[in-house]
Amino acid sequence: MTLDASFKEIVDMLAELKDTSELMMDLAYSSIFLYSKELAQEVATLEEYVDDLHTKFELLVLTRCISAEESKNFLGLIRLGVVTEKIADAAMQIAGVVLRGLEPHPVLKLAIKEAEETVVHAQVSKKSPLAGKTLREAQVHEETGMWVLCIKRGDRWIRPKPDTVIEAGDHLIVSGYAEGAEDLKRLTNSEKKSRK
Amino acid sequence: MARLEKIKYKPISVRDLLVEMKDLSELMIDLAYSAALFNSRPLAEEVIEMERQVDNLAYLLDMSAMLAARDAKDAESLVAVSVVAGAADKISDAAGDIATIVLREIGIHPIVREAFEKVEEQLSRAEIQKGSVWANRTLRDLELAPKMGVDIIAIRRNKEFIINPEHDELVLEGDVVIARGAPMGIEEFERLAGKTLKTAGS
Repeated sequence: MTLDASFKEIVDMLAELKDTSELMMDLAYSSIFLYSKELAQEVATLEEYVDDLHTKFELLVLTRCISAEESKNFLGLIRLGVVTEKIADAAMQIAGVVLRGLEPHPVLKLAIKEAEETVVHAQVSKKSPLAGKTLREAQVHEETGMWVLCIKRGDRWIRPKPDTVIEAGDHLIVSGYAEGAEDLKRLTNSEKKSRK
Repeated sequence: MARLEKIKYKPISVRDLLVEMKDLSELMIDLAYSAALFNSRPLAEEVIEMERQVDNLAYLLDMSAMLAARDAKDAESLVAVSVVAGAADKISDAAGDIATIVLREIGIHPIVREAFEKVEEQLSRAEIQKGSVWANRTLRDLELAPKMGVDIIAIRRNKEFIINPEHDELVLEGDVVIARGAPMGIEEFERLAGKTLKTAGS
């Protein structure tokens, strides 16, 4: 089977919808557990993006002339698209709690405070040892105790996977213990101190 | 129509309920996509089982939230919990929708499957049979991660899910273990999971 151009576009769009909706889910849960307005705002921005992309995706599927025997396969595609939209909505619902300033019940907050986790942004400089490495190689967690939640590259958001390559100029959104923030700054921008 | 059970109030902490709903709903999404992309009925059925579980947890959480509210301030803070629980429930429903694509044999376009198979890690499930070589051993002993690059991401024991089990968790006869890894590792996982003491020597 060969991929014709319009079909490849549909597949790519679906992959993008899937990744973005999963990223939103990660960010939304983090936004409530860390009670971070900043993360909640990212979710809200992504929600609009997914709405838009989902419409484009549906239009693209509809413009394919589908034969009767193909129709079931395409129904599967359309349903997957709807699911990504649903997940995005649910993520927005969670982020909405934070954006409305509804403080969650003390039972929940207590558990978060204990951990004293925080959200930090850092831009990867050209000299950073992270540039050009995959997340697996970069060992950000081992070095800093913090986890990469999301990578912002230009106007794109990327859900981190072990083989995602970090590029110079990327903005990392990272969460973890506040003590790790110093290490992270050094790692992303190692102009003065070089690491052993 | 699925049999729906009556939910009896149980005193479980709101936080524990919420964390469990979050973990389950996230795992379900991964499992559901894997079921769709690899057209796996057993995985899809596992997702439906989890959906039922999340539904029940949502009921329990709402009950706990209602009981905990004494005044307006409580209500304000508990509604946040309830909304988040509702969202987790929605996510689990979405995962259920994906599983239904498989169970109703609607199917995903084969080209899409091909394209995703290349990039996605695969999930798989295996039941630990009576006399399995894996029974009564800890996850650490099984050494699945170092040997085949496969991680056990959940264990289902009767109707309870243990999500992200610890290394010293024991695998028991009758457990369903859910694994994640590259396709080759997963193949090896499925082969070994079926081995019993009788067949192991041959």
